[in-house]
Amino acid sequence: MSIQSGSAEAVAPIDARREMGMLERFYAWICSERGFIAFCILPIVSFLAVVTVAPSIVAMIDSLRELSLIIIGKRGEFVGLDHYRNLLGDDQKFFTAIAQTGIFVIVVVPIQFVLGLAIALWLEKITYGRRILLTLIMIPTMTAPVVVGMIWRFLLMPSIGVITSYLNQFGFFVETTIFSEGFSAFVALMVIDTWEWTPFIVLILLAGLTGMPQSPMEAAALDGASAWRIIWHVKIPLLRPLIVVALLLRTIEATKVFDIVYVLTGGGPGNATEMISTFAFRTNFISWNLGYGAAICLVLVFMSLIVAAAFYKLVTIQEKKNAHSGGDQ
Amino acid sequence: MKQRTNLLTIFIPLFILLSVVTIPYIWIILTSFKTRPDIMSTTPVWLFQPSWGNYVEIFHKDFGLYLTNSIIIGFSSTIICVTIGTLAAYCFSRYKVFAGDHLFFYILATRLGPPAAYGVPMYLILDKLGLTNTHIAIILAHATFNLAIIVWMMKSFFDDVPKEVEEAAYLDGCNPYRTFYRISLPLAFPGLVAASIFALIFSWNELFFSLILTSGETRTLPVMIPSLAQHTGTQWGQVAAASIIQSIPVLIFIFFMQRWLVRGLTFGAVKG
Repeated sequence: MSIQSGSAEAVAPIDARREMGMLERFYAWICSERGFIAFCILPIVSFLAVVTVAPSIVAMIDSLRELSLIIIGKRGEFVGLDHYRNLLGDDQKFFTAIAQTGIFVIVVVPIQFVLGLAIALWLEKITYGRRILLTLIMIPTMTAPVVVGMIWRFLLMPSIGVITSYLNQFGFFVETTIFSEGFSAFVALMVIDTWEWTPFIVLILLAGLTGMPQSPMEAAALDGASAWRIIWHVKIPLLRPLIVVALLLRTIEATKVFDIVYVLTGGGPGNATEMISTFAFRTNFISWNLGYGAAICLVLVFMSLIVAAAFYKLVTIQEKKNAHSGGDQ
Repeated sequence: MKQRTNLLTIFIPLFILLSVVTIPYIWIILTSFKTRPDIMSTTPVWLFQPSWGNYVEIFHKDFGLYLTNSIIIGFSSTIICVTIGTLAAYCFSRYKVFAGDHLFFYILATRLGPPAAYGVPMYLILDKLGLTNTHIAIILAHATFNLAIIVWMMKSFFDDVPKEVEEAAYLDGCNPYRTFYRISLPLAFPGLVAASIFALIFSWNELFFSLILTSGETRTLPVMIPSLAQHTGTQWGQVAAASIIQSIPVLIFIFFMQRWLVRGLTFGAVKG
């Protein structure tokens, strides 16, 4: 709906308008609905132009240049689309990073979802002390990811870490350390990410469960449905909008995983735990290969626009559905 | 009999869950009060003589400076993005804006994309302007990064303000500015506070932009904490103490702001 508001006509009577000077006309425009929209939108547009569009243009130009510190003679020279050709053509490291990020997301998100759903369904019964309980449960998600990384790095330190010392007693990781082998390092990152983000899913689904109308459950129970059937056929379908949002946000956030990898493995050993973000970070700020790095970033911008478009589509479709059925999740 | 099932189905799983979630954090709290020999012991030490040593030492290592940086950057970036973002959110909620859908989507994309995709171009331009390692660079970066959360969350709060109230204000002769300032903003004010605190927390916890846009004097806490881990040997007690000080404001926030947590963490998509 749009609101009828004081437009230019309302401010000055029609016959007086002819005599209005520039300043008055400007004032009348500012006070009108259009003026107000401009007043609200111009700051954000100019801000985004300065902080995102202008840098992207600079990055676009830089991505066509050789800015590596290693190749000395050619610094600053234009190389055309060479960086893109190398990146998309035969950069094994880039594709490894993408594949590993993909594996990470595909494994971690479903595990977190199943765990989160189970915990939420079970916590629903506990009504006493919910606030303090949720506060404790949300600690991993709300603590800075870099602090989470440091906590786990300490817990998993060879010999002095508390978890390693208990694992050692059972005969694990006595000869090697967790982060010296690709596979165990990767699994450790997945475990840490699960520890960190499962509470997020619990929080969202629990909000859905507590806000749910109770009558469908009571009706199903009266009809003799077992607790499992109620969960599967009544609660989960009612939760679906929240499940979609939770899964989407988790997938998007998981593809961006950076902090814990940076703190715990730095992408190593070798590039066994290299993710997209760490790869971009290493190319730019460890190898200082800024031209090539800019090309990577623009490819990432392009990829992320597709992901964001998908998120936007799904959420708006859902809102329309909700509005249609009169539900308000 | 009833009590036994309670014990089995409620308290034991609850105990396990809470242990898994909190023990790593509790262990760090304990570590921050330990002395070096207790920390370096190969068998875990659960009982020890507590000391404030680690907290005292990190403040000798310029911890105060980084804490101040984090506070300055957090508050400045929040003020910028709340001012810009709230106005835009109100417009998106009430009016048809030219190309509004595209703009609204673009704002979201800046947050959903990998930070490298926006951080590196920002670094390149700020480097050319000679602004890296200043507070301005990182404040702008954090304001951009938090704009999405403010716009999306505030739109959901403005959507909740009944339109009838505003129509009444218009009939009484308010122009759009007065209506916004006197009617809608006060009604959405609790939401504004919640959204601002979220922006503040995200800035406070943010690593990637801070890592590439600050160094030396301008570093923030999330950059400083991992830098305490060095090849020559990490002072884990100090890492623990710094981590605790960094995370305590956030934990207090979770307790008091629980009503808004769901909405904040889902960009207003879920109105828990």
